[in-house]
Amino acid sequence: MTQSPTLSRRAASAPSQPRKSRRRGADTRAGYTFLLPWLLGFIALTVGPMISSLYLSFTNYNLFDAPKWIGLDNYTSLFQDERFLQSVGVTMQYVVFGTPLKLAAALAIAMLLNSKRKGQGFYRSAFYAPSLIGASVSIAIVWKAMFGDSGPVDQGLSFFGINLGGWVGNPNMTMGMMILLTVWQFGAPMVIFLAGLKQIPVDLYEAASMDGAGPVRKFMNITWPMLSPVIFFNLLMETIHAFQIFASAYIISNGEGGPAGSTLFYTLYLYLRGFSDFRMGYASAMAWLLVIVVGIITLIFFKTSKSWVHYSGDSK
Amino acid sequence: MIDRRKFLGTVALGTASAAFLAACGQSSSPAQTGSADNPVTITYTWWGNDDRAERTRKAIALFESKNPDIKVNGNFSDFAGYWQKRATEAAGGGLPDVMQWDLSYLRDYGQRNQLLDLGTVKINTDAFEKSLLPSGQIRGKTYGIPTSTNAFAVYYDPAKLASLGIAEPDGSWNYKEFNAFLTEVGQKGNGTLFGSTDYTGVWWMFNIWLRQNNIQAFTEDGKLGFTKDDLKKWLNMTSELRGTGAIVGEDKVTQLLPKSPFGSNVTATEVTWDNFMAGYLADSGAKDLKLVPVPSDDPDNLGLFLKPSMLMVASAKTKNKDAAARFIDFMVNDPEVGQIFKTSRGVPASKTQRDGTTFEGTDKLVVDYEKSIEKYLKDAPEPPIVGFGTLESTFKRVAQDLNYGKLTVDGAADAWFKEAEDLIKQNA
Repeated sequence: MTQSPTLSRRAASAPSQPRKSRRRGADTRAGYTFLLPWLLGFIALTVGPMISSLYLSFTNYNLFDAPKWIGLDNYTSLFQDERFLQSVGVTMQYVVFGTPLKLAAALAIAMLLNSKRKGQGFYRSAFYAPSLIGASVSIAIVWKAMFGDSGPVDQGLSFFGINLGGWVGNPNMTMGMMILLTVWQFGAPMVIFLAGLKQIPVDLYEAASMDGAGPVRKFMNITWPMLSPVIFFNLLMETIHAFQIFASAYIISNGEGGPAGSTLFYTLYLYLRGFSDFRMGYASAMAWLLVIVVGIITLIFFKTSKSWVHYSGDSK
Repeated sequence: MIDRRKFLGTVALGTASAAFLAACGQSSSPAQTGSADNPVTITYTWWGNDDRAERTRKAIALFESKNPDIKVNGNFSDFAGYWQKRATEAAGGGLPDVMQWDLSYLRDYGQRNQLLDLGTVKINTDAFEKSLLPSGQIRGKTYGIPTSTNAFAVYYDPAKLASLGIAEPDGSWNYKEFNAFLTEVGQKGNGTLFGSTDYTGVWWMFNIWLRQNNIQAFTEDGKLGFTKDDLKKWLNMTSELRGTGAIVGEDKVTQLLPKSPFGSNVTATEVTWDNFMAGYLADSGAKDLKLVPVPSDDPDNLGLFLKPSMLMVASAKTKNKDAAARFIDFMVNDPEVGQIFKTSRGVPASKTQRDGTTFEGTDKLVVDYEKSIEKYLKDAPEPPIVGFGTLESTFKRVAQDLNYGKLTVDGAADAWFKEAEDLIKQNA
């Protein structure tokens, strides 16, 4: 997808050379031919289902009978559905607290790993590992066992005189557990931060040291602004990611979003509505609402980014 | 780096979905009749634990040796995932040929023409109680044949009661006495042993209580037969017990999943179906468990009934109707199948199968229990309304929220009624 505008622009910029442009035309065709397998899949497996789900979101569809057109009913009844509102609340909590914490952890570790030290390569791999396996089913199961009654976390905390009991069965603690699980998977943004940190010229720090700047000053005035495009990218990606949380919540709550709805994430409720209650129209409406909301949030991020993200070559 | 990771992720996803699509499409087979040299293959799926899987494999092997012209491909999952899989298969037109089924979902699929009318094929039902068969029928068509029956009961562990110095109950109790019993267990259990789970959170117990009060749960035209006040009254039955030792806290129950508190030796009693005996014994390691009838304020009307613990159904789209019918007939009638399953599916519904099975030990307890309540039994309830599976799980959920203190009794009743009314409107 990304290369097609380049190709056509190049072809358009050379109309005076018919021979070359014919070759370019062949290139374009070849390009699209190579793209075809992916393109077909994209249209058949992504665009097609998306369009049909848009249609279904305006219908009452139970998987067995033909969909029945009901207009905007699904969308309007969403806002009278207490479980829906609960799922929005749970998801927002997760996004608002989980994402910044995860990014902070990623940035902190990236800065530690940026310094020259022996065995740095090993540490980098070691810290990245959790994010490779973190989304897997087995980790969610391990997490559940760790935070259960008399699990390692419970025992560890009681050693310090904190008796919380199991987190898994306590509606007030499950969100904390889910956030810890996502923070622990800081590897992906960490690697990107690390790459960004390497781009910052060392002489900036040297100059700052000469002027007597301390570590906080250096971070605020050099690292943060120089890294801001990377921070912005990570913030955007991780926010979108957080909205999509499903598998770990499904496993930890036995697919029910419990206890007391405390892990009823948006996508989990969507799934339950569709596949347990056979209300595919309703589930489709939820899916489209999520797409729209995530789109709006992305737009807001881009609009506000102008005030704090600095690209090299900016006149500001 | 990122791109490669994403790319690999996409590849993995693509592979997974291809495998998924392949799995969806595998059930259709063009053959109509088979021979020993060229057998037809039918697919069979069931829910259950490893114990049931082992028994089912034995039964399938036996069937194949007796019917060399048919091959059975078996597949199983746990109960919750089972229905999500069937929903996707039904949407794609690829339900397995023969399936183990639950009464709660019979209308959802039967009424929507997903299941084969078993009246059109040859299955022998002569050995069945005439009062039991209607529970597999909808509007005169037979969609399911019961494999076995179960009835509601109060389980208790005699050893645990003895250790607390509490006399064993005889099952002739009203709700006040039952509550007092649970309270005593809670007090003497002192935080390590609880009375029971909150029995008001169990849909079928509520249904039994309604029957004890001569109220029908659902009307003929698929509406609710009881009022919100009935439900509130029911949920208030244990309002003084919640949060005490009489009822085990929901935070504990959640953490023990998938095991039950009774199976985990956290409670001394449990109110549920009598065919859970084998599972409880295996989970808890208890030497023996006993069964007594549920409480009732009317000693002549216990509201009890025999429910088909599970049914055998066939897909409406099966290409091997005859083979499917022969497999169902075998599973419900054959005495040797009874010997394999004992009471783990419930007490065999067919007299031929029941008489051909020897029941010993705890299996005998279950059979004896169903005999002992014979005089109280009333007709089995009709297949519940479309979408009942959702209502049942919603019932459990609001009761959980109630025990967590997130909902009041009124709030729980309101929440359940809203869901029920929504659902009835959806399916009207």
